Amino acid sequence: MTQIFSPTADTWLRLAVVGFLSACGASLVAAIGFARSSYVTSTDIAPHQPVPFSHRHHVGELGIDCRYCHADVERGPKAGLPPTATCMTCHSQIWTHAAMLAPVRQSLTENKPLRWTRVAKLPDYVFFRHDIHIAKGVGCVTCHGRVDTMPLTYRARAFTMQFCLDCHRDPTPNLRPADKITDMTWKPAGPPRDLGARIAAHVGIRSGELTHCYVCHR
Amino acid sequence: MTTLPKQWTSIEELAGDPAFAKKIAAEFPVAASFPPTARRDFLKIMAASLALAGLTGCEKSPFVAGIPYVDQPESALPGVPRHYATAVTLDGYAQPVLATTYDGRPTKLDGLPGHPATQGRSDVFMQAAVLQLYDPDRAQSPTRAGEPVTWTDVGAMFSDQRREWQKDGGKRLRLLLSQTTSPTLVRQIRELQSQFPAARVHLHDTSGERERIAHAIAAYGEPLDLHYQLDACSVVVSFDDDFLGPGPRQLLNAIKWAQARRRGDVPGIQLHCAESIPAATGAVASYRLRAAPSRMPHLVETLAARLGVVGASVNDLSAEERRWLDRTGAALNAAKGRALVTAGLGTGAQTARWVAQINETIGASGQTLKLTSPVADPGVATASLDELVIDMNTGQVDTLVILDANPVYTAPGSLDFASALSKVKTSIHIGLYRDETGHRGTWQLPLTHDLESWSDARAVDGAATIIQPVMTPFYDVRSRHQIMAMMLGRDQAADESVRKTWRDAFGESFDAKWQQALRDGLVAGNAPEIQATPVSGKIEPAPPGADGSDIAFRLDPTVWDGRFANLGWLQELPKPLSTLTWGNVVAVSPAWAREVEVENGDVLEIDIDGRKVSGPAWIMPGQADNTFGLWLGHGREQAGRVGDGIGYNAYSVRPAATPWLAQGAVRKLDRKETLAVTQLHHRMEGFDLVREVSVASPTLPAPSPQPSLYPPHPSAKNAWGMVIDIDSCIGCNACVAACTAENNIAVVGKAQVEMGREMHWLRIARYYVGDVETPRSYFQPVPCMQCEDAPCEMGCPVHATTHSPEGINQMVYNRCIGTRTCSSYCPYKVRRFNYLDYRYTPEAPAEPVHNPDVTLRSRGVMEKCTYCTQRIQAAHVAADKDNRDLRDGDVVTACQAACPTRAIVFGDINDPDSEVSKLRRSGRHYALLEKLGTRPRTTYLAKWNDGSDDEDDRT
Repeated sequence: MTQIFSPTADTWLRLAVVGFLSACGASLVAAIGFARSSYVTSTDIAPHQPVPFSHRHHVGELGIDCRYCHADVERGPKAGLPPTATCMTCHSQIWTHAAMLAPVRQSLTENKPLRWTRVAKLPDYVFFRHDIHIAKGVGCVTCHGRVDTMPLTYRARAFTMQFCLDCHRDPTPNLRPADKITDMTWKPAGPPRDLGARIAAHVGIRSGELTHCYVCHR
Repeated sequence: MTTLPKQWTSIEELAGDPAFAKKIAAEFPVAASFPPTARRDFLKIMAASLALAGLTGCEKSPFVAGIPYVDQPESALPGVPRHYATAVTLDGYAQPVLATTYDGRPTKLDGLPGHPATQGRSDVFMQAAVLQLYDPDRAQSPTRAGEPVTWTDVGAMFSDQRREWQKDGGKRLRLLLSQTTSPTLVRQIRELQSQFPAARVHLHDTSGERERIAHAIAAYGEPLDLHYQLDACSVVVSFDDDFLGPGPRQLLNAIKWAQARRRGDVPGIQLHCAESIPAATGAVASYRLRAAPSRMPHLVETLAARLGVVGASVNDLSAEERRWLDRTGAALNAAKGRALVTAGLGTGAQTARWVAQINETIGASGQTLKLTSPVADPGVATASLDELVIDMNTGQVDTLVILDANPVYTAPGSLDFASALSKVKTSIHIGLYRDETGHRGTWQLPLTHDLESWSDARAVDGAATIIQPVMTPFYDVRSRHQIMAMMLGRDQAADESVRKTWRDAFGESFDAKWQQALRDGLVAGNAPEIQATPVSGKIEPAPPGADGSDIAFRLDPTVWDGRFANLGWLQELPKPLSTLTWGNVVAVSPAWAREVEVENGDVLEIDIDGRKVSGPAWIMPGQADNTFGLWLGHGREQAGRVGDGIGYNAYSVRPAATPWLAQGAVRKLDRKETLAVTQLHHRMEGFDLVREVSVASPTLPAPSPQPSLYPPHPSAKNAWGMVIDIDSCIGCNACVAACTAENNIAVVGKAQVEMGREMHWLRIARYYVGDVETPRSYFQPVPCMQCEDAPCEMGCPVHATTHSPEGINQMVYNRCIGTRTCSSYCPYKVRRFNYLDYRYTPEAPAEPVHNPDVTLRSRGVMEKCTYCTQRIQAAHVAADKDNRDLRDGDVVTACQAACPTRAIVFGDINDPDSEVSKLRRSGRHYALLEKLGTRPRTTYLAKWNDGSDDEDDRT
């Protein structure tokens, strides 16, 4: 009687099983890796802007406070992009003829807003508010990264749900005193958790209630 | 506690129709007839779905534009709502509102807090006004014979016209007005009259205000407004007067009625209502009498006789009528000085005179009835529409200016206004839409919406509001005052005429008073009270019953006289009692339906003096025999894309002489129409859905604790709950309309509603108890119950609905994959599924009206009431920024804010002093379908049965 299976059949079968399982694992890893890649999360990409605005120059070198331009950040949900008039407070006096600033001057004379490309953006089903985060001691740098070192602005963090939830579950390591909110270089003197816990108690963070869905989705 | 007998929702259910039982057994009526799917097909579809499901996560976040201001105004804060006090108008009366605007776009209107006529509450028309603002079918530029022209052309036309008018003092000029209360418009009309003394002004109003005044003249000898002081009443008797029903007075009457009802531990006001066609007032009445409209004069005269009014004689009455009158007469006698008798429009001048005499006898004047001179006074002598049509037909009118009226549609059919209009050389229609009249006129001049206008108007109590625009106009339109100024030979800025009126009124320190009036939305002072005594003299006896049937005309509770026909929000609102959407019906009595073998939807033909119209029948439980009800406002031809061709046009058979009650014949045709009725959708299986208490036993039995296998959820500091008092609910739908506006609820259209796919998060269920001839009616608003042990949460395979620490069943749209399991698990049937994508409608750009704080739900996603979670979160943020706890009243849901009777109360049940906690301790408190152990957070207060416990007496 002829053998149906060759001597190597068993090996092939094992190889096939192992191969199939590793292919499954590999595709899972690849899918997760892809979803977290900067290609999908658009981190580290500085999109084209009508004016090559440098945060490094304005924040890092000149030391202008974030709230000078993003003036709504403490009062409303949106930080607000600066209106043309804000740019012109300085640029009507300095660099008045710089070619780079032509679109700004044009916006003012034609009364047409500049069309910037938004760098930091959340999906439509996320309702984020800047004002409450600032009131509770979350610094700009925590989400937006070291903007003061960016010649062209890019998304420093992937705004994934995990990123938000990590902090909503345990905000203490990320809290800072109210006067250090816009400070890009501030570091807590001691362990961040000790200071954070004191701040959380002081500003009354409702720990444990910040992770339910309706806090951000509605 | 009174155990109610069987509660039923439709006549088919009461009759035990097997086809009906089958229909309601299906979770989704449309899915009841799916073909059986082969197992193999099912597996194929599921395999593909599962394989593709993951792909939705691969959406790459795109870069989008960010557009700042060029020069941001200091007050403009993107994403933060701003509020303006202004007013919208209904029948010329101001409905003072607080308009919420985001980035310069109004999204929501609420009654103006602090205004005596609204007290922060609203009605359906006020809620929907904001949608009309964005209606893409509005007239967008002036036209001449349908061709667009400029306002310069219009100005030239008016100068030519003025030269003509000056020749003979305007003898051949006519102005046709709808009812107005605007002091500025009155001033301008007076000026026009003084410039052209021979011109005549005609008044055409569809809502019966003219008849109201005529009745007052008959009863008191002078034109008067009757203001019911329901809050001072303990007994009210209504003769076919639906004062709690829709209309400009609904809000104030409902507010005062509810105040009186809650005066003590037991109901503080009792309603006795003789009613022909069931409506809100009869539904909440303690003693309701079913009576044909033509019986009202007899009933009221007999009541007058019993109360000892001189000259009144006792009429022949049926046993049922006598029993009701016995009780009513005794109640009135016992409550002198705290009682009021009212009569509706169709009951005639004799009834009005008897009612005035009775009110004098029972000491109502000055106590429960306040008389003022008419709030809506055009300021000049006006003639009627009938006279205008005669003049038009005899060629005496060269120029007809129609201001904010649509007589081609709303004029009684007997007048044939359209053919009269064709005999006028130049007709100028000034209105919001290029409607039936605008299409037939020579010129159509588009008006600004109230929310884009500078104007003024008085509320029903006489208090004036200066109407300020909350945004600049979208279209090339002008306000009525600007157009009137053009007729007066001037070109004026939008606010100039209004400022002039009030500069004269305010006198000294105008600027300060003007600013104050704009800020408050109210100019202090209302109509002064007048003392008037009823006209004495013999009152003619009521004519004996005419042959033919009584045909009563009613304004539609959702689209009113037709002016709101193009608003999807209102078309889709289920009408009180019939729960009909998208259309109108002919209401017939159950006895007549049995006799002629008519079913709901059978088409009937109504014949009044040879004019005929046909519409679908609706068997109205509790309707008087030999009475038919027609609703005006539908059957429009030029309303716009939403409102055209829905229902039948009852104006076409309306007689001009007796516009509210006619005699005619009705016969059944051999056709049937489908009706989009919602009461049978989203049915709960259970009993005791509505409960009652009586004065004798004012407490429901305490609920027995329901054991649960699930551990209790830990609660956060705040635990939200809602209590709905079904004793106060008048079924007015304001809550549903407010929810629609607040939560971006989609309008799905008639075909989808017929399939049971309406999207309202809140429904007002209506139940009947008793026989079909004389049932008692109950309204029960049903939002999500926010169960503590929620079946939906256990059912969801993907955890798209979860429990929040504050006790809300959260619905997470971006997680939902649309299995609809939650909906089939929900015993209260409050979940709604997006079968289609309603987010963007390219032909009707409604985006600006959407609340930006609420997600637009996409296709394939379940949704439901969230307790207005966006308002809860906004309140949390506001409190957290101040580092304080939430206080009772910080969170007000949209339905709660709208409710005129304060039937809905929302708050923190962890706080024992909150209003909602106090109500939960009431003896009337109960939970819906309590035995299921879902432990709902939304609970109810039982209805008071303050009538007789004897079934037969309560008719």
